[in-house]
Amino acid sequence: MTSIIKETQSIKEAVTFINEIDANKFPRLISRIIQKLHLKGERTFSEEEEQKLRAALSLDKRALNLVLETSAFILEQAVYHNIKPAALQQQLEVIHLNPEKAEVFSQSWAAAGPELVEKLKRNIFAPKKLEHVGWQLNLQMAQSSQTRLKSPSAVLQLGIKSEDSEAQENVFVEFNHQQLLEFYNKLEVVQGQLDSLT
Amino acid sequence: MSSSHAKDPSFLGGRIPPEIESMSRNLKDVDHELFRKLLKAVVSALEGKDCREVMRSVAEGSVIPQERLSHIIAGMHRLLSEAIRIPPSSLKQEAFKDDLRMLKMPEDFITDFSSVVFGSRRAALEAASSQKDPHLPTLEEFKWRVDVSISTSSLSRALQPSVLTQMKLSDGTFHRFEVN
Repeated sequence: MTSIIKETQSIKEAVTFINEIDANKFPRLISRIIQKLHLKGERTFSEEEEQKLRAALSLDKRALNLVLETSAFILEQAVYHNIKPAALQQQLEVIHLNPEKAEVFSQSWAAAGPELVEKLKRNIFAPKKLEHVGWQLNLQMAQSSQTRLKSPSAVLQLGIKSEDSEAQENVFVEFNHQQLLEFYNKLEVVQGQLDSLT
Repeated sequence: MSSSHAKDPSFLGGRIPPEIESMSRNLKDVDHELFRKLLKAVVSALEGKDCREVMRSVAEGSVIPQERLSHIIAGMHRLLSEAIRIPPSSLKQEAFKDDLRMLKMPEDFITDFSSVVFGSRRAALEAASSQKDPHLPTLEEFKWRVDVSISTSSLSRALQPSVLTQMKLSDGTFHRFEVN
């Protein structure tokens, strides 16, 4: 398998720092990074936490940044290639990570990797995504133009989230019995198509 | 409990709406032909069509002053609207006619009203009036496609299916979104 990490100058420097980190503290660090890896754009550690880390690991600001970024990069590459844990360990030793640290990476990856891949698959971006469906079944008794109705109507609430904003847009759609049945049949066709893929 | 009322209350309710009372008064010495023209125009209006031209030409061709005509038209509109609101299972044709007889209207006119309310045009009238009722948008068009994401910037082999749907609603809005 081709190496997933090229040994650049930056990597060499990071490896040096990583190798010096206390072996007891390293597993938790990697574990935390891998947990937050699927959240694009979010910092793994808050400003306060980074300050504590610098003290705990005796690293200055630049060194800590390099360690965190490189560790994240290693894990991202592992996810991208869906590499096996044993292969990951081997490749990390090739770039001169000491065996102890390489094993930590490999074990974290083995433990949290599959779930991370699933999260990333679900997170594939799209301009708008359906996040939530709410529904209501009503019995309409009357309206301005009609008394004594007793007609069932369903209301679907579609919670649609835009890729570039936090706000969710709610779309309400009303169906009578016939319309709901037609919609259901169309969805069954789509489901059939999805089922035929697997 | 008084039992003097053998008949159920009129479909018009306890108190006759003023437009309908006024119409009854103004229908005196209106001939059948004029009545039918007016009724036809009012039915068209209830179906949602624009009747200004028709109304104008009826008014111009008649000796009856315009003000009286407007009372008649208003009354016809109200009477038909109220009758259409009640499902035929609750308001039967004979009861409807009886209620109109209480207004002391010529029998011919009663028959004409009755044939609108209980005839073939009723469905169109009901459909047109329910348009104005409050309701949420309904689904007019639903298009979809199934995609498979083969590869992304995070995953070299994703192979993740997803469905892209596009909904067109009755209020004219389009919504395109992905469902996974």
